[in-house]
Amino acid sequence: MAPLHVLVADDDSVSRIVVAAILKKAGYAVVMAKDGHEAWAHLSGDTPPAIAVLDWMMPGLDGPEILTRLRQTGTSTPVYVILVTSRDSSDDIVTGLKAGANDYVTKPANPDELVARVNVGARVVDLQRALADRVRSLEEALSNVKTLQGLLPMCSYCKAIRDDRNYWQRVETYLHDHSGVQFSHSYCPTCYERYVRPELEAAEQVIEGTRRQTGR
Amino acid sequence: MSEPALDRSVIDVLRQLTPPGEPDVLVEILTLFLQDVPTRIAALQNAVGSGDADGVHRAAHSLKGSAGNVGAKGLQEACRVVEEMGRTKNLDGASDGVAHIVREFQRAAADAETYLPKTS
Repeated sequence: MAPLHVLVADDDSVSRIVVAAILKKAGYAVVMAKDGHEAWAHLSGDTPPAIAVLDWMMPGLDGPEILTRLRQTGTSTPVYVILVTSRDSSDDIVTGLKAGANDYVTKPANPDELVARVNVGARVVDLQRALADRVRSLEEALSNVKTLQGLLPMCSYCKAIRDDRNYWQRVETYLHDHSGVQFSHSYCPTCYERYVRPELEAAEQVIEGTRRQTGR
Repeated sequence: MSEPALDRSVIDVLRQLTPPGEPDVLVEILTLFLQDVPTRIAALQNAVGSGDADGVHRAAHSLKGSAGNVGAKGLQEACRVVEEMGRTKNLDGASDGVAHIVREFQRAAADAETYLPKTS
């Protein structure tokens, strides 16, 4: 499987290179941005990264502004966002999570912790993609299913049904075309008494009459 | 002998980040640190000189990030003090704070040089 793309956005070049090196070593494909505008260009582009590690304080657009923009553009596979904040700003953490961040790490990032948290993001992204694929295939299936609903005009005598093109069809044909259902023909006890038994009896009389004539 | 300016455990972690067959990540990061930090200290000095508390806050904050990433604990702490002055918009003593940052950077830079290949 191709490595997931991770965006690392930080105006501090040392932090950016360190975080990028940590994630590259963990097997991710890393793209970097040196300010908020560059980060937004990646995130709003044709092939956005699956995961974004965004510094809280950046010139141009800061972390929360990017989050607000991201969450306004609805998509079935939203970017998983990890905010990078200072150890001493728990207000930032609350604000960031409320703004739609999925997680946060404190700066300077502990490499093991950073990779573990990005791995959690990768699992979430995989699940979302699988779910989005499933929904898409179900929607396709649904659009192929023939529908059977609404008010059907039916002949009171022969029970034929008028279809939407104004043709009269046998009920079996209509139901088969609109639902895929198939019929096996049989008879109910009432119809046996009313139709089948008299026919059988009539047939037996015919056979009996024939025997008498031939004298057998 | 005082403890080294750059935390050895952080340096060891950075050293291990180099992928096989690629340039040394530790060298790359320390070189960047040495190039990048002086210009940003200058920007911080400008912000202090013009009384721009927001600018002081941002510049000191981002310097603190750089310092932390290479394990320069003394520099990181010096930046934290000035960052706090910017955040609370009280720049009294900020010049002394920046002077402290400069001294700590010199200590960190001297230590960083020991990890870089000799260019002579």
